[in-house]
Amino acid sequence: MVKLGKIEYKPVPVRDLLIEIKDLSELMIDLAYSAALFDSKALAEEVLELEERVDTLAYLLDMNVMIAVRDAEDAEHLVGVSAVASAADKISDAAADIAILVIKDIGIHPIVRQVFEKVAEHLIRVEINPESILAGHSLDELELAARIGVDIIAIRRNKEWIINPKEVEKLDRNDVLIARGAPHGIDELEGLARGTISELEE
Amino acid sequence: MVKKKEHFKAVVDKLVELKDTSELMIDLAYSSLLLNSHHLAEEVEGLEERVDELHTEFEQLVLSSGFKPEEAKDFLGLIRLGVATEQIADAGAEIAEVVLRGLEPHPILKAAIEEAEETVVRVQVSLNSPLVGKTIRQAQIHEETGMWVLAIRRGNVWIRPRSSTSIQQDDILIASGYAEGEEDLENLASPKELENG
Repeated sequence: MVKLGKIEYKPVPVRDLLIEIKDLSELMIDLAYSAALFDSKALAEEVLELEERVDTLAYLLDMNVMIAVRDAEDAEHLVGVSAVASAADKISDAAADIAILVIKDIGIHPIVRQVFEKVAEHLIRVEINPESILAGHSLDELELAARIGVDIIAIRRNKEWIINPKEVEKLDRNDVLIARGAPHGIDELEGLARGTISELEE
Repeated sequence: MVKKKEHFKAVVDKLVELKDTSELMIDLAYSSLLLNSHHLAEEVEGLEERVDELHTEFEQLVLSSGFKPEEAKDFLGLIRLGVATEQIADAGAEIAEVVLRGLEPHPILKAAIEEAEETVVRVQVSLNSPLVGKTIRQAQIHEETGMWVLAIRRGNVWIRPRSSTSIQQDDILIASGYAEGEEDLENLASPKELENG
């Protein structure tokens, strides 16, 4: 069970909150489905991590509204933002429901999984081991898309999420990568991150 | 057995479409809010109806899989996946509703909207467009016009553009970006025929 704590107010602009919630929500849906269809508990756990983050951001959005409202007119203008915070919460709950199917082993027929593996690109979660050659390099140095056909769609660094990381982003040891690609490239990325493969072909 | 495989292929295709459509809805719903675009919000409402249809079709497919009682557990997960997806779509529609009701520019939202001097455009790809047959990666639309393609509508199917998605004649591209790029995108999607040509 996730331990819930008090959420402290931070002055974050509404626009920044909305953009982060948008990116995280899309990622959550993507990850939740992949967790279910590739039967990956590791991905499901990431979805639950993301849920916590989205919930925190939705609270912050609501707090922004509360602080800004001084009269009835303000309330009329800002009730929409509260509605968005509540919708964001619903989306993350629904994605978490999908993740929980995986964690609780509520079945998805094996044939469905087999078929899905053929039609969809794979998505994985992999952590960078200290001995991995990926650590300390930026994405444009690594050129993973060109070399092994894998796109890094998100990086989690402790509690911080970097969605659609920029080319200059440097990978660190212990970073958790969420990546998409063909099965062969995904296997290679796994080896590189674990440190069992120590060379990137040109 | 072959028939069964085909049936499952249909189930998975439907599921993938459900997932992509709901993900797209969330993308467009938040974009409609950030860009204060009624147009996009209306697209989201349309997509919600599409998700409802897809969900019903998906449930019918799953329930007609001809499973034995002891296999029921293997199908429960699928049914629940469908339910969760519909909840996501509903929440997306709620966000779009906020836009459709009309957001008054209160200071804290005004800041959110004004920073976005971006617009949303829809263009249709004509036969003579250089985009026809190219993938999103090859088409270099962002490099050429500064606009980002948010969604592709092909008939009544909505597609979330990935770099490997290819563009076809008659596709409707929904893109956002600075207003200056609008004309460039229109010219790219449907180049004007030469006078004597």
